[in-house]
Amino acid sequence: MIATDAHIKKVYVPMTETGFYILLCLRQPNHGYGIVQKVKELTKGEILLAPGTMYGSLSKMEKDGLIRFVREEEKRKSYVITALGKEVLEIEMKRIERLHRNMEEMRE
Amino acid sequence: MREKKTALKFFTVCQYQQEEDYLSTMHAQGWQLAKIIFPCFYQFEQCEPKKVAYRLDYNQEGLANKTEYVQMFSDCGGEYLFEFCGYSYFRSQSERSRGQEEIFCDDASRLDLMKRVLRGRMIPLIVMFVLVILPQFAVTTLGYGGGGGVQEVLSVCFLLLTMLYLVIFGVTAFQFYQYEKKIWPEKTGIKYKYCGIFGFIVLIVLCRGLFLYFGWTLRD
Repeated sequence: MIATDAHIKKVYVPMTETGFYILLCLRQPNHGYGIVQKVKELTKGEILLAPGTMYGSLSKMEKDGLIRFVREEEKRKSYVITALGKEVLEIEMKRIERLHRNMEEMRE
Repeated sequence: MREKKTALKFFTVCQYQQEEDYLSTMHAQGWQLAKIIFPCFYQFEQCEPKKVAYRLDYNQEGLANKTEYVQMFSDCGGEYLFEFCGYSYFRSQSERSRGQEEIFCDDASRLDLMKRVLRGRMIPLIVMFVLVILPQFAVTTLGYGGGGGVQEVLSVCFLLLTMLYLVIFGVTAFQFYQYEKKIWPEKTGIKYKYCGIFGFIVLIVLCRGLFLYFGWTLRD
């Protein structure tokens, strides 16, 4: 249970927007540039993830056990989300849903 | 054979954005970065004046896995130039302005960059400072360095060196503080942490002052 891991909590609760999109996209195996393209498509070009951030975040998440290496193809490493990653993503999604719910309530 | 020229430019660890701007300006004037021969010595060769973006990254892990690292940047439009002292230099052919041609898209990763630089470049400096420069300064100023004119000169040299190091530490700490404050505006502990760091630096300055004072009085 991640609730007991203080380091994970400190870094990923809440998580950066980049981190969120990486975990979201890696529910299916993908490589760094694939994530950049997917997010560009999802946000209609509004969010362009950058390579320095991407490389650093992927390394960090792999070390923290949120994603794992799958395979290497044409000089690109592919990753996929782990059980721990799914747990952390779930916490973040609940937080975003709560934010959105409260936002909608206050709007009326 | 393309014409080459070498320029001497000094940038501290925190001034990587100024370094990037400098390289872009040179390229816009028709000089593209060819290589760096020695710290602060940039070698340029003539090229067509163009608006390009130069970006620096510091990532030892990236250099250890160079193929994937370079490919990631290449996919996003960045051409890998070379590595120097752990820094990777990239050039982007895009016409976009500074605000849009970035290799970092959030402050958390910029802070991570600074932390990597801290571990890779500042820690050796700090070790040097604590183990060599500070003791040498104390020794030469307090009069145990063997006496005579040479000692006076050494004392002044080490005084200047300690001041330079302390300024670099102070400025680096301040830049760290700015990034951390931007990323976590609600965190209250940040101010105290940096007050502690600055306080420590001031303490060292005071110690130096004490050494100087005792050195002068002992000599009389």
